[in-house]
Amino acid sequence: MNGRAITSDLLLGMIPIVLLVALWQALVSFGYAPVTLLPPPGQVFSRMAQQLLSTTFQQEIAATLFRLFAGFSIATVLGVTIGLAAAVNPAVNAVVRPIVRVLAPLPKVALYPALLLLVGFGHQSKILLVTFDALFPILLATYYGASTVEQKLIWSAMAAGTPPREILFKVVLPAAAPSILTGCRIGLVISCIVVFLAEMITSTDGLGHALVTAARTFQAVDMFVPLITISLVGLILNGLLELVRSYLLRGFPEA
Amino acid sequence: MIEINQVSQVFQTSARQDHLALSDISLTIQDGAFVSILGPSGCGKSTLLYIVGGFVRPTRGAAKMKGRAITGPGPDRGPVFQEFALFPWKSVLGNVMYGPRQQGIKHAEAEAQSRALIEMVGLKGFEDFYPKELSGGMKQRVALARTLAYHPEVLLMDEPFGALDAHTRTRLQNDLLNIWERDRKTVLFVTHSVEEAVFLSDKVVMMTRSPGRIREIIEIDLPRPRRRTELLLDPRYQKYIVEIERMFDDSGEGE
Ligand SMILES: Nc1ncnc2c1ncn2[C@@H]1O[C@H](COP(=O)(O)OP(=O)(O)OP(=O)(O)O)[C@@H](O)[C@H]1O
Ligand SMILES: [Mg+2]
Repeated sequence: MNGRAITSDLLLGMIPIVLLVALWQALVSFGYAPVTLLPPPGQVFSRMAQQLLSTTFQQEIAATLFRLFAGFSIATVLGVTIGLAAAVNPAVNAVVRPIVRVLAPLPKVALYPALLLLVGFGHQSKILLVTFDALFPILLATYYGASTVEQKLIWSAMAAGTPPREILFKVVLPAAAPSILTGCRIGLVISCIVVFLAEMITSTDGLGHALVTAARTFQAVDMFVPLITISLVGLILNGLLELVRSYLLRGFPEA
Repeated sequence: MIEINQVSQVFQTSARQDHLALSDISLTIQDGAFVSILGPSGCGKSTLLYIVGGFVRPTRGAAKMKGRAITGPGPDRGPVFQEFALFPWKSVLGNVMYGPRQQGIKHAEAEAQSRALIEMVGLKGFEDFYPKELSGGMKQRVALARTLAYHPEVLLMDEPFGALDAHTRTRLQNDLLNIWERDRKTVLFVTHSVEEAVFLSDKVVMMTRSPGRIREIIEIDLPRPRRRTELLLDPRYQKYIVEIERMFDDSGEGE
């Protein structure tokens, strides 16, 4: 894609966001929602600008980002490793398949109380929850991608002299890259949601905690700031992942 | 020399039925010969090629290369698949360099050799293109260059020009003959086209409809180097084509 196409895509992408903010403003202006519950967007955004400069709020963001990154990274490493292993090794597949079938549909947040008791209120419990939730989409996408690699690609590499044990890294992994990265994208969105949720349930810091604190003291403006911050964080991270993706997949059709 | 000794191939279908794809094939291919395999769709031509390539183990019988049983793929036998099977994550240069690098040739030397090969197949200037950015005929040229790059003694070509338009097909046939006349590799060439088989080969192996057996082996005694325009006027060339076409018609095995 060339620069102009990206710019026009970006402009098109802004339209729904602008409409949403306009709708918000309209709801407030025409008195459909009381200002104490739904503050006008201008007030929220100016409060947000102010907050972004304050150290306390920056620390909340940092805590959330750290948990999100740690959980997502562990999920990616585990998901890709287990997914690849299961795709190429029938014994591993026989072990992994039933576990995934049982755990994938489980609402992982139900494990959170147990995690809190096990590892405490600090970073670990949140990181673990993010890992659990982001793991399965990445694992399943990797497994699917790696088990549908075109046989002739593997044969071509073997004929060129690649020993069987190297096929995994030289052919299967790069050939499965489009699926793996799609899995990562889903995993990243889930990570954003889950880290916020975990912080809302029990935490002493982080954006989710900031929201709950504001809600408990009926400070509507302060409630909206962390909410918008986490969506911005998600938007930026997704954009970064998209850059990585289009670089890694530059040879693949429809990347 | 390649010897195929009483090879039979039975496939298990998903419906758990045995399907006899090849029945009792015996064939000897001399070093430096250009041998075509001709037969109706589904008669097991690809399967036979995969057996010589070492990608498929025959159910009965054995294939030998230089007196040694073929037990797996190796760089002495280079396949060119009908589906091209280029690595989508590598550029044209990356694809062609893959084999030499696997053979332990230093990067700079592998690159120099590969650039020369790319020029030879007429793709100079396309080194940094990705497969998705090439036309069908160009992909086929890259696939051929990628295989030639690791200097196989035998080329195994599965309907390499089947998907191309008549003009590109003729050009690539000429290019292939030029390359072959220069370094006299053994070529096992699968095709649907009677004309193509007669034009290229020393020997045409005709197979019967499924289960594939060898029906007839026809020696093509035409002078080389062959020029298509001259051959078209040559009564001997026309006679071969008519003779083989008749054999197809006789048994109702034409396409
Ligand atoms: N992996 C497989 N499992 C089951 N049956 C197979 C398998 N591969 C091939 N066959 C069967 O073996 C027969 C021969 O297949 P093959 O691909 O060798 O035919 P072909 O002569 O190359 O055909 P075409 O000219 O259409 O490419 C077919 O009837 C096909 O259904
Ligand atoms: Mg075939």
